[in-house]
Amino acid sequence: MESLKYTLLKIIHVSGLTFLEPVVRLCYGEEPQLQLKKIGRFIVIPSLTFLAFLVAWALIAPVYKTKSGEVPTPAVVWDAAQGVKRFHERESDKQVAYGLSGDERESSLAAVSEQRAILNSLKADADEQVAEASEERTALVAEEMEPLATAYETKKAEFKQAEKRREAALIVKASQIDQRDIDAKNELLAYIRGHEFQTEQERELLKQLKAEQDDVRNLTYAPLQNAMRLQTEIAEKEQYLAKKEEILSKANRSLKLEEEAARLKELKLQYAATTGPDLMPIAQQMLQIEGRMQKIVDSEYAKPWTLPMQIMRSLACVFAGFFLATAIAIPIGVLCGVSPTFMAAVTPFIALFKPVSPIVWLPISLIIVGGVITDPETHWLMVGMSNLPLIGWLQINPAFIASAITVALCSLWPTLVNTALGVASIDKDHLNVARVLRLNFFQRLTKIVIPSALPLIFAGLRISLGVGWMVLIAAELLSSSEGIGKFVWDMFNNGSSETFAQMFVVVFVVGVIGLLLDRIMIIFQRLVSFDGAPAAI
Amino acid sequence: MPILEFDNVSFGHGIGSDKYEVLTDANLAVEENEFVAIIGFSGSGKSTVVSLLGGLIEPDQGAVKMHGKPIGPPGPDRGIVFQNYSLLPWLSVHGNIELAVKQVFPGMSPTQREDHIQHYIDLVSLTGAEWKKPNEMSGGMRQRLSLARTLSMQPEVLLLDEPLSALDAITRSVLQDEITRLWEQDKRTVVMITNDVDEAVLMADRIVPLTPGPRATFGKEFAVPLERPRDRATLNFNPEFKHIRNDVTRYMMDINAESKRLNVAGNLKLPQIQPISLDVAPNIEISVV
Repeated sequence: MESLKYTLLKIIHVSGLTFLEPVVRLCYGEEPQLQLKKIGRFIVIPSLTFLAFLVAWALIAPVYKTKSGEVPTPAVVWDAAQGVKRFHERESDKQVAYGLSGDERESSLAAVSEQRAILNSLKADADEQVAEASEERTALVAEEMEPLATAYETKKAEFKQAEKRREAALIVKASQIDQRDIDAKNELLAYIRGHEFQTEQERELLKQLKAEQDDVRNLTYAPLQNAMRLQTEIAEKEQYLAKKEEILSKANRSLKLEEEAARLKELKLQYAATTGPDLMPIAQQMLQIEGRMQKIVDSEYAKPWTLPMQIMRSLACVFAGFFLATAIAIPIGVLCGVSPTFMAAVTPFIALFKPVSPIVWLPISLIIVGGVITDPETHWLMVGMSNLPLIGWLQINPAFIASAITVALCSLWPTLVNTALGVASIDKDHLNVARVLRLNFFQRLTKIVIPSALPLIFAGLRISLGVGWMVLIAAELLSSSEGIGKFVWDMFNNGSSETFAQMFVVVFVVGVIGLLLDRIMIIFQRLVSFDGAPAAI
Repeated sequence: MPILEFDNVSFGHGIGSDKYEVLTDANLAVEENEFVAIIGFSGSGKSTVVSLLGGLIEPDQGAVKMHGKPIGPPGPDRGIVFQNYSLLPWLSVHGNIELAVKQVFPGMSPTQREDHIQHYIDLVSLTGAEWKKPNEMSGGMRQRLSLARTLSMQPEVLLLDEPLSALDAITRSVLQDEITRLWEQDKRTVVMITNDVDEAVLMADRIVPLTPGPRATFGKEFAVPLERPRDRATLNFNPEFKHIRNDVTRYMMDINAESKRLNVAGNLKLPQIQPISLDVAPNIEISVV
C-alpha cells in the first residue's frame, strides 16, 4: 500500500499534476487537515472560479447581439459541440457503410430501413407539434395584436382628423391677413410651426405603436422553437439515413462491383461465342470494364473533413513543423554553445528573424513551396506521401508543408537559444572529466555536453511546441490548409448562429490540446532532468 | 628515476602587470609506488599542483615530467580524483564508471567490462547502490564513486585533490582508512593534496609542505617511516607519530608566520595619532536629558 502511494506521488510529480497530490495523501490519512486545506485551494477554488466564469458568460453573452445572432451561451456551445460530434460520427458511419458487403450490408440496410420507418412516425409527430405550436403562436399573436391594432387604427384616424382640422383653421386665418400686416404674418408662421411640430409628434407616436405591434408579431414562442429544433434534428437525421441507405444499396462498393462483374461475365460469354472482327469491340469493352472495376475497388467514400479529422491533421502539421524546428535548432544551438565564434556569427540572424510574425513567413513559404512543387498532383513527394499507410488520408499538400515550415520558423528560436545556453553553461568539472578520459569531439558531445544540456533543451522544446501550436492555427486559417484553422475560417464565412457557436467550441478544443501538449513536454522535461540541472527559462 | 617530477615549475594566472604568480621554481620528485602528501594552507596553490600534474594546465616555465619525459595532455594514466567529485549527475554509479571503463579499455568484452565495473564498485563498498544517481547519495558515497571511477581506469599515478576536505570528520576517517587500505592492496604512486597534518602523517610515506602563496614553492620534506599497516587507534600513542606530527605542524606554523612577516609592506606610512584620554578632558560637558 505504501509503495503504491509513493508510485502515485511519483507519477503526479513527473506529470506535474500536483493538484492531485493532496487527494492521494488524504486517501492515506496523512495530515487530513492540511490536505483538505490544499484540496480547497488547488481543486475547489479553481472549480468555483470556472463555474463563476460559466455563469458570468451565460448572463453576459445574450445581451450582445451580432449579425450571426446572439453571442452563444455555454449551453449553446455545448449543443454545438454535440453537433460537431454527431456530424463526425455520421460521416464515419457512412464511410463504413460504403465498404460493407454481403450479409453485413444487408442487415445494416434492414436496420436503416427500420430506423427510417420509426423516424417517419416521429417526423409526423414533430410536424404536427410544429403545426400546433405554430397555430398556438398565431392565436397568441392575434390575441395580443387585436387591441394594439384597434388602438393604432383609432389613433391614426384621430390624428388625421385633428391634422385636417388644424390645417382648415390655419387656412381661414391666413385668408384674413392683410398684405402689410407683418405682425399677423409672423403670428401665422408661429401657428404653422406649432402645427408641424404637433403633426411630427403624432407621427412618432404612431411609429411607436407600430413597433409594439412588430414586437408582438416577432414574438419568440418557446414551445414552437423547441418543436422546430426537434423538427430540424429529425430532418437532419432523415437526410443522413436516406444517404446511408443509398450508400448501402445502389451506391455501395460491393454492389457496384457485382454489377460490373455481371456485365463482364456477359461480355465474356459473348466473346467466347463470337468470331471475326466483332471480337475487337467486345474485347475493348471488357478491358474498359476491368479498368472501371479496379477503380471501384480502390475507391473510398468521399468523406468531408470533420473537426476530429481536422484536429488530427493540425496535430500532424504542428509536429511536422516542430520536428523540423528541432532538427534545425538543436544542431545550431549546440554549435553556438560550443563555439563563441559561431555564436557571434549567428546572433544577428537570431535577433533579426526571431521577432518576425508568422503572418509574414506564411505567404513567403507558400510561394517557395509552390515553386518547388509546381504540380502537386504529380510531384513524387506528394504522390509518395498520399500512398503512405498512416498519413495518406491527411492529404498532405503544399499548403500543409508551408504551414509546417511557418510553424518551424516561428518555433525554433526558444529551442535554439536554450540549447546554446545549456551547452555554454556546462560545468567545467564535467569538461575536465572529458579531458582526462580523452573523449574526442563527438564523444564529448554525446556523452557530456548534450546530456548536461538536455534539461534546458527540453525546456526550450516545450516553449517551441506551445508557440508552434499557436502559430499553426493562424497559418492554417490563412493558407486554407485543412485543419482547425480552416475549420474556424469556414465557420466564420458561414456566419450562422450555429457556426458562431462552433467557433467557441474550437476555442476549448485548441486550449485543451495545447494544454495536453504542454503536459507531455513537461513529462519529458522532468524525465531528462537531474538534480542541480540548470533551471528552465 | 622518479616517476613524476616537477622541474623548476612556475605558473601564474593573468598576464602582464595583472599577473598573479601561484607557483615559482617548484621542484619535486615522486618515486614509483610512493604515497606523497602535499600539504599547504588554503590559497597556496595546492589545486594548481594537481592540475599541473594532471596536465589540465601547462606550466609557464620549467616542466612537469613523467618517466623523465614532459607530460602531455591529460589522460587516463594520471587519474585525478577531484575535490568536488566531478560526477556526471545524469548517470548512475554504474554509468559513471562504465563511461570511464569503455573509454580506457575499448577492447574489453561486455562480460569482462561488467566484472571490471562491479569489482571497483565492490572495492569502494558501493555494492547495492549500482543504479543510484549521484544526487541520491551522501557526500562520502559520492567521493567513493569518484575514487572508484578513477581507480577503474587503472592509472599509473593517482592524483587526489583534497579528496576528503568536503566531508564530515567521521566519514573522513572512514575514507582515509579505505584509501590507505586500497593503496596497500594495490601499490601504485599516489600524490594526495591535503590541508590536514594528521591525515598526511597517517596516510603518506612522505610529506611535502607547500609554502604560502603567492609565489609558493615546495618546502622542507618530511619522511614518515611508520610501519604499515597503520592503526589509527594505536598510532595516537606512538611517539614517532607524535614527533613527526609536531615537526610538520611547527614547520607549517613557522613558514606561515614567516610569510606574514615577509608580506608586510615596508614603506607603509602609519598616521601619527595621539589617543585622547577621557581623564584629561575635563572641559567636555556631558548633559543627560
